[in-house]
Amino acid sequence: MIYTKKTPWTLIMGIIMVAYAYLVKSGVLEPLIKYLGTGKLTGEMVTLGYVFGGIAIVVGLLQLAVKFKEGHADYYLSTIGGLTFIMLVAFVVKWGLDPQMSAWGKAAQPALGFNFASIMNLNYVVMGIIAGIIVVNVFKIPSWAENGVRLSRLGLKTGVILLGTLYSLAELAQLGRLSVVLIGFFVLGSVGMVLWMGSRRKIPNSMGGVLSAGLGVCGVSASVAAAPVVQAKSTEIAYTIGTILLWGVLMMFIFPIVGKALGMGYIQFGAWAGTGILNSAQVAGAALAFQPDGIETLKVAEIFNITRVLFLPIIVLWLAVWYVKREQTGIKVNLGQVIVGKFPLFVIGFILMFALSSTGVFAPAQHYQGKFFDNSEAKLVKTDKEGKVTSKLLKDEEVALLWKEADKIQREDQKKALSGLVENKKLMSIDDDNALRGVANAKILSKEANAILKKAHGAVYHTAAKIGMFRDLIAWFFTFGLVGLGMQITMSSIKQAGGQPLVIGSVVGTVKAVGSLIVVMMFVHETI
Amino acid sequence: MLRAKHVLLASHGTQGARAAEKLAFSLCAPGASLHHLIVVPDFWKGMMGDDWLNNAATREIYGDYVETQLENEVRTHIRRLRKQAAKRRIRYDFTMVQGKPTECLAARAAKGPVDIVVLGSPRPRGKTGYRSGIELDKLARRVRRPILIAPFPK
Repeated sequence: MIYTKKTPWTLIMGIIMVAYAYLVKSGVLEPLIKYLGTGKLTGEMVTLGYVFGGIAIVVGLLQLAVKFKEGHADYYLSTIGGLTFIMLVAFVVKWGLDPQMSAWGKAAQPALGFNFASIMNLNYVVMGIIAGIIVVNVFKIPSWAENGVRLSRLGLKTGVILLGTLYSLAELAQLGRLSVVLIGFFVLGSVGMVLWMGSRRKIPNSMGGVLSAGLGVCGVSASVAAAPVVQAKSTEIAYTIGTILLWGVLMMFIFPIVGKALGMGYIQFGAWAGTGILNSAQVAGAALAFQPDGIETLKVAEIFNITRVLFLPIIVLWLAVWYVKREQTGIKVNLGQVIVGKFPLFVIGFILMFALSSTGVFAPAQHYQGKFFDNSEAKLVKTDKEGKVTSKLLKDEEVALLWKEADKIQREDQKKALSGLVENKKLMSIDDDNALRGVANAKILSKEANAILKKAHGAVYHTAAKIGMFRDLIAWFFTFGLVGLGMQITMSSIKQAGGQPLVIGSVVGTVKAVGSLIVVMMFVHETI
Repeated sequence: MLRAKHVLLASHGTQGARAAEKLAFSLCAPGASLHHLIVVPDFWKGMMGDDWLNNAATREIYGDYVETQLENEVRTHIRRLRKQAAKRRIRYDFTMVQGKPTECLAARAAKGPVDIVVLGSPRPRGKTGYRSGIELDKLARRVRRPILIAPFPK
């Protein structure tokens, strides 16, 4: 079978991307960029436009000119159309729709009394997934894009693997412990609850098996893994997956709204979404919807996702043994085969990236705590190409204001840190910074003075270039993956939600979401 | 009683479709042909949903498993109808397609030879089953042959 379709669309999309990058670079789109307030994104607009547009043009020409033969080259090249299609949707959403929606939200605020874009989290991640869902359900995925759309799974897995570079050992250990406790409790709890409810409502064992995996572990992925093991009937699979998709999509929108309304922090929300949302893809979606301009929430949520997927082989094994015992099928459960077959290989990639980054390959070890401390002149004073000097050192009037309020400080270490700051117009050590952050948090000084302390802190903390690059790359891999996954959520599948799975799913899903919210709010704090 | 030479039966073995089967057999004149259309609904294409955690081997096992399940259901169904047709000396053939049931049935009816189309009535509320039934309104507008709907069995 030849997979590569002869279509002009790959070439057309490539030309659009390159033309857009060129127009941004040449400044023609300056008024539009100014209107949308996307000035800080021009770098990625140009780079991504040229890179993806260039690839699409070359492959598009090849698709039109070459007669492909069966083989790997044919298959791999057949994915470029869909990949470009997803990226184009992502570009439109991130660089156009997202800022426009934010402007509309602000504009409508006086009339509505609230910012609908902010309250409903209509950012590029949520809108990207919605765009994907609209494309597949209203327009259908063009046949030339189907293979590329399936590639979005690889995007998410690559995103998780790269995420491994951003954890410190302490973070990973603490988040890992927290996730094992929470996931362990709620996974085992929901699997047990489904099996119990199932036996009360007299549903077949095969349905109980596939439903408990889906509702307990990681949604559709767990149902896919468990269905053959518990020999689920086709209707049972359809009902279960329909129910999980319906819940997943609903939760992805509801969780961030509730999280913001309750004033949850990144760690709390990541832990809640990672535990309470049934479907693993929607965990990533909700985390990015909650915090679209950073990946701290995603980092927490993904640890939970990884823990869930590590639970998967164990749960599948448990269900296999449970099913065989109940049905007395005489089938032998091969422990090794189940564990090896269901083990998620990308988790090994994540661990490898974490191990590599811990050796300092990407940036010095101290950078992995997030930002690193550097108060050297080279970092604080910059001269651009035109010779214009910008300095992050405190200005004389700022120093004067701090000095005026110095008497309000009683503690010796804080006094010493402030005098060091006043004398040098910059923070002199991490200890000084910690001492003065204590002053700022305790609100000892005036609002203006606190703002100056915050500025001084921001001036000496930097993100390593490579780590910054990884962050951007990860955000794009997840955007690509989530837009592509949106394109695989069909209404006809969601419509299959029904029967006992919908009843049991609604009860267990609600208990899990509310229960995990209570536990997170009570026991998870914003410091790791 | 109405008799036809070419009866097109849309059935995938549900309770409503079984009533349609009975009706279709009763319409077949001796030596008539019963053309059986089985539609595997296209929602199965989306039944891996947004799974991304599993590896390719697991997905393949799942895909094969679902395919085998559906195939077995269809085989059992065909075997049952073929047996009944042979008993009644009715010529029987079947077509299996994947897609939207309404569109597939309209396309098969247009292909001919078909004198009458027989199908089951929509499932009553509260009865379980796939939500991929035939849209009668749409079908009536597209099919240029008489359509007979069997009432849902009590």
